[in-house]
Amino acid sequence: MATDAAARIESYLARVRVALRGLPEREIEDILRELRSHTEDLGGGDERRVDEALKSLGDPVELAKTYRAENQMVQAECGGSPLVILMGLRHATRSRLGRIIATTLYCFGYINLFLLWLAALAKLLSPSRAGLWYVPGDWWSISLVSFDNPPPGERELLGWWLVPIAVALGWAIKVVTDRAAQRWIGRYRRSKGSQEA
Amino acid sequence: MTRASAIDSPEASPMDKWEVQLRKGCLELAILGCLWPGKLYGLEILRRLESDSDLVLSAGTVYPLLSRLKAEGLLDSEWVEAEAGHPRKYYRLTPAGRRRAQQMARMWSRFSANLEELLSPLLKEGGR
Repeated sequence: MATDAAARIESYLARVRVALRGLPEREIEDILRELRSHTEDLGGGDERRVDEALKSLGDPVELAKTYRAENQMVQAECGGSPLVILMGLRHATRSRLGRIIATTLYCFGYINLFLLWLAALAKLLSPSRAGLWYVPGDWWSISLVSFDNPPPGERELLGWWLVPIAVALGWAIKVVTDRAAQRWIGRYRRSKGSQEA
Repeated sequence: MTRASAIDSPEASPMDKWEVQLRKGCLELAILGCLWPGKLYGLEILRRLESDSDLVLSAGTVYPLLSRLKAEGLLDSEWVEAEAGHPRKYYRLTPAGRRRAQQMARMWSRFSANLEELLSPLLKEGGR
């Protein structure tokens, strides 16, 4: 009887473990240890009571999903790499459309950062092809990097100032994009309270 | 069926749903309040919530929330060997957790006092 109860607990925990894949191993072990302790406390080796304890934990995949979502959102809010923030942002939306919009906006910020830093690098490697050009009188003609030699008649505005300005502007875009995403995640978490909970 | 699962069911009335939202909103404060006097492990927290605040919650609700509060630096935890034969994970408030608990409790107290003032005529009339 007690063996069956233990087998049920282990089978449940094995499913939680699979669904928690991706979290740090130490954290997974800690979560599983706590869930085992909880079910053993409530079950006391009795099969029926163990079933009740497992039922109160809910579906193992859903439980793991809640742990993962909470973990990734907290990590994203407290800082972390762009990938961590992006993963946190995916959990911080209520609908699929919201998820697509939020991740697209976040990626848009990083694409701009990438382009600016690329322009700064291009200026260092091939000064004649990188610059901020425009045709006098036509501000819509503004361009940053030329893959050909700049067309005659275009005027370059920044010279070597392009490098520090592009780097600083790219950095500012990164900070604003990350902060906006983190604020979004924080507001979502607070508004949601412990909903999956 | 537990009270929590009854409230979460699709057949729950609008009043039940309102009540569950209200309870969920103050769950974090209730957990921090539970841990104010000292350390407790998960099952003790669940039981304390049920007996002292009428918050009947599933374990699948409380454990991820404890994990999140710990990740936020509001709780600390340690494994303690128990007489039951297996270790238990005890949680305690960190200094940041104590500050947060006090701020939330003050806010809650002010809010509920104001609301009570607003609702007192309604309750008096309802009591007649």
